[in-house]
Amino acid sequence: MSEIPENLSYTEDHEWVGSDENGGVKIGITDYAQDSLSDVVFVELPNVGDSYQKGEVMAVAESVKAASDIYAPLAGKIIAVNEKLEESPELVNESPYGSGWMVIMEPSEDRSALIDAEAYKNSLD
Amino acid sequence: MPLSETCIHDSHVKLGAKMVDFAGWHMPIQYTSIVSEHNSVRERVGIFDVSHMGQIFISGRDAAKFLSYITTWDMSRLSNGDCRYCHILNQNGQIIDDTIVYTFSNEDYMLVPNASMITDIFDWLNLQSTDFDVMIDNKSEEFFCFAVQGPEAPRLLRQYFNLSITPFKLVKSDNVIISGTGYTGEKGYEIMGPLSESLEIWQSFLDMGAIPIGLGARDTLRLEKGYLLSGTDFTGNQTTLESGYSWVIDWNHDFIGKEKLLVQKEKGYKLLKGILLEERGVLRPGLPVYYDGKQISELTSGSLSPILKRGIGLSYIDLPIGTTVNILIRNKQLKGRVIQTPFL
Repeated sequence: MSEIPENLSYTEDHEWVGSDENGGVKIGITDYAQDSLSDVVFVELPNVGDSYQKGEVMAVAESVKAASDIYAPLAGKIIAVNEKLEESPELVNESPYGSGWMVIMEPSEDRSALIDAEAYKNSLD
Repeated sequence: MPLSETCIHDSHVKLGAKMVDFAGWHMPIQYTSIVSEHNSVRERVGIFDVSHMGQIFISGRDAAKFLSYITTWDMSRLSNGDCRYCHILNQNGQIIDDTIVYTFSNEDYMLVPNASMITDIFDWLNLQSTDFDVMIDNKSEEFFCFAVQGPEAPRLLRQYFNLSITPFKLVKSDNVIISGTGYTGEKGYEIMGPLSESLEIWQSFLDMGAIPIGLGARDTLRLEKGYLLSGTDFTGNQTTLESGYSWVIDWNHDFIGKEKLLVQKEKGYKLLKGILLEERGVLRPGLPVYYDGKQISELTSGSLSPILKRGIGLSYIDLPIGTTVNILIRNKQLKGRVIQTPFL
């Protein structure tokens, strides 16, 4: 059973979105996504300052077997990336909702298009 | 067409393996994670179910002569109990498949072709055998095959079979054939026998501490050592010389494809070489390789070495060892170095 924290928002593409202290949103991939990918061995992150439309590829997580695109869950500008993933991509597996976060974004739209934990859980069944 | 299942398929499912379609077989790609399984084989010992591979028996008065004709090696140089890795070529010197020849006697041999090539090899042998007094018997569906690989493999073999076997030798123990061979570069064995004995052997090796290893780690383990993968590193268009395996050719005998190889040897050719990514990233089969602004080839194999933690790949290229090339990954040119395999 994969872990789905109640306090986060989700996309059907297995990304989570949480609030960041500085007003931005923190984004990562879900427990289900890291488990499907298996060993994450490389994460390609965007540059700080890049802007994305909702649904655009903003990052790539690679396992030994496959590369998986990570889409911008909302439109907005990247204001921070998790540089620890460069040295330790396995953090995505070990702590997908914690130290394995990927980017912090300053969104230019509200979160109404995202789904809650309950809806995300149902989308997995 | 429904997928074939090996004799211990249910055991894989019970172990929680992620199962995939591989060459028409429903096979475990990983049980826990490719990286941890890879490390288990390098550091301890793992067991692989490779029962999808073939067993074709060649017997008769002309068996040695026939096998010398259809492979790159001269069987008269082998003694009873020897295993030999070699290539089976077409008339153009191109690799149809690679195989290990098991020598039971000079009138009794076994070939182990790759799963996807069993029918092709069986047909090719029959086609070429008209002038030879040989019997060709495809027993692939009657045999299991497990590979036990890793530094602790000798201990497990002694514990279970009370045997020690040196590299590239084989021993028959009742109905079971055990050889000092493998595809990981570690100490290890391949065990083949009748399906009825498969579950007992599989379970016993797990109980002795062997970790089950899926096809995912099998691929990274072989790639670190620069071993060829049938259908990936050769696809019917590449010769033994190009593959970098000229040491499997005994030039002092006649075999199918030899004339073309002799011509190629004079003319020169692109050679399969290793590429080590010098920046962070993972190499994948099919990625384009650039030199001097122009695309010169594609990767045949590519992955990430779990031990080196670097992208590694293979490509047929006409550049010296040490040359810096660029690999195009998602519109970015990443630097790689041409190296002589093995990577590890």
